[in-house]
Amino acid sequence: MKKEFMIHGSILCLILGSGVYMFYLMRGNIQTQMIVGISTTLAYICWGIIHHMMVGNLHKKIVIEYMLIGVIALVLMLTLSL
Amino acid sequence: MMDIRVTYMKLVRLLYHFIVPRESNNHRAKALHHDALFAYALLFMVFNLGLRVIHDTVPDVLGYATDIRVEQLLQDTNAKRAEKGLSQLVLSSSLSQAAADKADDMFTNNYWAHNSPAGKTPWDFIVQSGYSYTIAGENLAKNFQTSSGVTEAWMNSQTHKDNIIKPGYREVGFAVVNGTLLGEETTLVVQMFGTSSGQVAAIRQVEAKELVVKPIDVIPAESSLGVSAPSVRQTPLINIKILSREVAFIFIGLLMGIMAIDAYVISRRGVVRLVGHNVAHIVFLASMLAGSMFMLRGALG
Repeated sequence: MKKEFMIHGSILCLILGSGVYMFYLMRGNIQTQMIVGISTTLAYICWGIIHHMMVGNLHKKIVIEYMLIGVIALVLMLTLSL
Repeated sequence: MMDIRVTYMKLVRLLYHFIVPRESNNHRAKALHHDALFAYALLFMVFNLGLRVIHDTVPDVLGYATDIRVEQLLQDTNAKRAEKGLSQLVLSSSLSQAAADKADDMFTNNYWAHNSPAGKTPWDFIVQSGYSYTIAGENLAKNFQTSSGVTEAWMNSQTHKDNIIKPGYREVGFAVVNGTLLGEETTLVVQMFGTSSGQVAAIRQVEAKELVVKPIDVIPAESSLGVSAPSVRQTPLINIKILSREVAFIFIGLLMGIMAIDAYVISRRGVVRLVGHNVAHIVFLASMLAGSMFMLRGALG
């Protein structure tokens, strides 16, 4: 179980690390950065769903929670891009 | 006295209900329930739209604070050259015109590059302005708030620095223009370097950032220090960038803090519940915040 969490955590770090790096690479091009932000958010939601499915506790409530957190992150990104 | 105490206790209980997982909130901080998360998203959207509408309606009240002046850019550029013992650049009206034309072309054709989508190079603008160059270069910057910020960023980038401290240059021109570029309100700075001579044909060597011709005896083109190149100075009552950044940081900081408290309390109590991973949410939000920081920075070209 612990090993499984380690693997899942590493994958999440890889997804998010790549996202931040892409933000950095695309600096100066706000439209591409928006696409990077949306892609990272979608990847995070997918990660959450797959992770909970593999752990065996996937529920509609959890999917909604990940989606809401994703929406908050996107709105935050839009606000910071002002 | 008793009333105050009762009210105080009620407030504390309410605060606990919102922040700490307990029986009253089904072992999940109320501030992290779905309805609360939905409310945050909605409130932030309204805040975001409100800022945009107010900015469009009254930009003097809520806008972008910018103070980029050509005189200051020239002074800073020459200061950097002086540090290297190089000659001072003279402001050229032709190069400033070329820079202004380039900026206008960038806004009109909506691109952020040295060469236009139609294949127009910086050198085309320089020639078009009537400046006969033997050696020339171009630096671009956008979204900076101060003149010194622009020059410092250029100095931190090797290719742009190379232009600033190139011994062969004698003249410089600037354009500082506000407009919308790639869907973003932008203050664009174009810096054109040059050395003019109508004398000897030279060997041209095109590099990524500049077109270089082996320096020869140089006769400076007609130039003046008193060219009235446009500058951008805006001081709105409220700086939209600072306001949006502070509100976003405070909100996300509080949200992540509540998530951390929630995760800590639940792990200590060993409660089993069906929710997402707070730690993953915190890492995700922190990553998005870190990524968004690169949206605040000025860019060079």
